[in-house]
Amino acid sequence: MIRFEKVTKKYPGPGNPALDQVTLDIDKGEFVYLVGTSGSGKSTALRLVLRELRPTAGRVYVAGKEINRMAGWKVPRLRRQVGTVFQDFRLLPNKTVAENVAFALQVIGKSKREITRTVPATLEMVGLKDKSERMPDELSGGEQQRVAVARAFVNRPMILIADEPTGNLDPSTSVGIMKLLEEINETGTTVVMATHDHGIVDQFRKRVIELEHGRVVRDEAAGSYGFQH
Amino acid sequence: MQLRYVFSELRTGLRRNLTMHLAVILTLFVSLTLAGCGILLQRQADKTSETLGSELQILVNLCTVDDPSGAPQCAGGEVTDQQRERIEEEIEASPEVASYEYQTKEEGYEKAQEILPEEVFEGSDPVVTVDDWPSAYWVTLEQPDEADGVISAVEGLDGVSSIKDQREALGQIFGIMTALKYGSWIGSGFLLLAALLLVANTIRLAAMARRREIGIMRLVGASTLYIALPFLLEALVTAIVGVALASGALAAFQYFAIETGMAEVVTFLPWIDWSDYLQAIFGLVPPGIALLGPALTVIPTLLLTRKYIKV
Repeated sequence: MIRFEKVTKKYPGPGNPALDQVTLDIDKGEFVYLVGTSGSGKSTALRLVLRELRPTAGRVYVAGKEINRMAGWKVPRLRRQVGTVFQDFRLLPNKTVAENVAFALQVIGKSKREITRTVPATLEMVGLKDKSERMPDELSGGEQQRVAVARAFVNRPMILIADEPTGNLDPSTSVGIMKLLEEINETGTTVVMATHDHGIVDQFRKRVIELEHGRVVRDEAAGSYGFQH
Repeated sequence: MQLRYVFSELRTGLRRNLTMHLAVILTLFVSLTLAGCGILLQRQADKTSETLGSELQILVNLCTVDDPSGAPQCAGGEVTDQQRERIEEEIEASPEVASYEYQTKEEGYEKAQEILPEEVFEGSDPVVTVDDWPSAYWVTLEQPDEADGVISAVEGLDGVSSIKDQREALGQIFGIMTALKYGSWIGSGFLLLAALLLVANTIRLAAMARRREIGIMRLVGASTLYIALPFLLEALVTAIVGVALASGALAAFQYFAIETGMAEVVTFLPWIDWSDYLQAIFGLVPPGIALLGPALTVIPTLLLTRKYIKV
């Protein structure tokens, strides 16, 4: 589903590359943690999958397509197959919960009928059915992140990318979000989650890919967080 | 494509940056009015030189059957081919002449109908008929102030009734028109530059105000066109309003200043009419303001949105 072939990404200016000859393979339906210290290249790897960045060398494949050679106008279509969740939720403050989720469908041209069908179902799945008319600032952090997950998943993407989704949340709320991501993973969606949250990684054992200075130093099925920071 | 979002964004966008949009509209309005005036003046100048000749031209009228000049060289009545050949030779030989053109009686008569009052052509025995009207040579000079040689060479020839030399009078008229034309074009150029900068600023502000939405749209895979559409429509709306205001101002100018103004007072000049007005609005060459306005807002918007909302 996601495949890196000797991917190197060097940002302009001096310094070591953010990713250095990274090769990895993530299959359809997997749940993968990407761990490593800040600056180890986790976010760069995720941004390459979204084609927010292009590699300096090597190839990135998503769903069988080499995306770094993809024409610019095809990029939106790629992104429709990849849902994204961030540490800072990124909700629109002037829209209700339901509108925030519906926005993701509206702007890719889905019909009103489809939106009224899928948005409530997705909100029910993330446990926010009763709060669909609330504004984001009336929700707790955990609830806001659930809205963000609903928005990322409402279009049923093949891949869900989560960049520190529990970074702003307390441990018990994090467990709730994690369970939600597991549930999404069980529908067949590949989940790639960059995280610093060793509690979560140790509690929900999944494949762990550890990056250090832009290189893969560990790739372990059902691994632990494995280092202190 | 679902356009509900696009139109609601257009509405909020127009409201949010109302003062900026008004500034764009007003500068567009004034600059397009000036540009339109420039086009109208250009057409007025063209029209004038078509019928009266330019400041570089003198008109050599040839004899008619019953020539009004009563000049001795017209004693033979209508100019003969032989006489014409002789006149042509003299014109051709003169170093002051850049080019010349023969105008038949019919062509001259047609032009006369544009400037002379209608009464003289009407009735069973009109004052002016085709036969009365002289054939002529339009002689274009190399220099507007050097015509003495060719005038004296042609003046006394058989078959030449008179020489019309309106260089001085026309020179003044054209001088005024040219000054006004370039004045409006230069003024309009500066204002159009100001409009461009305002458009660029408006887009920057709008892109800033919408950066969250734009970020999310990019992430969830909205197409670039879809993201840019509210910006383009905003630009188009301001352009349309600007063009409409300028068209109104030009129509007022055409009606009050030309049709019921100058055209009534100064009758010896052929004046521009509504077809010239339409050219100034919708013409292709030079581009009318209905092309100029949208192009000036939409093209920079396209370029800048590519910069600000790069996928």
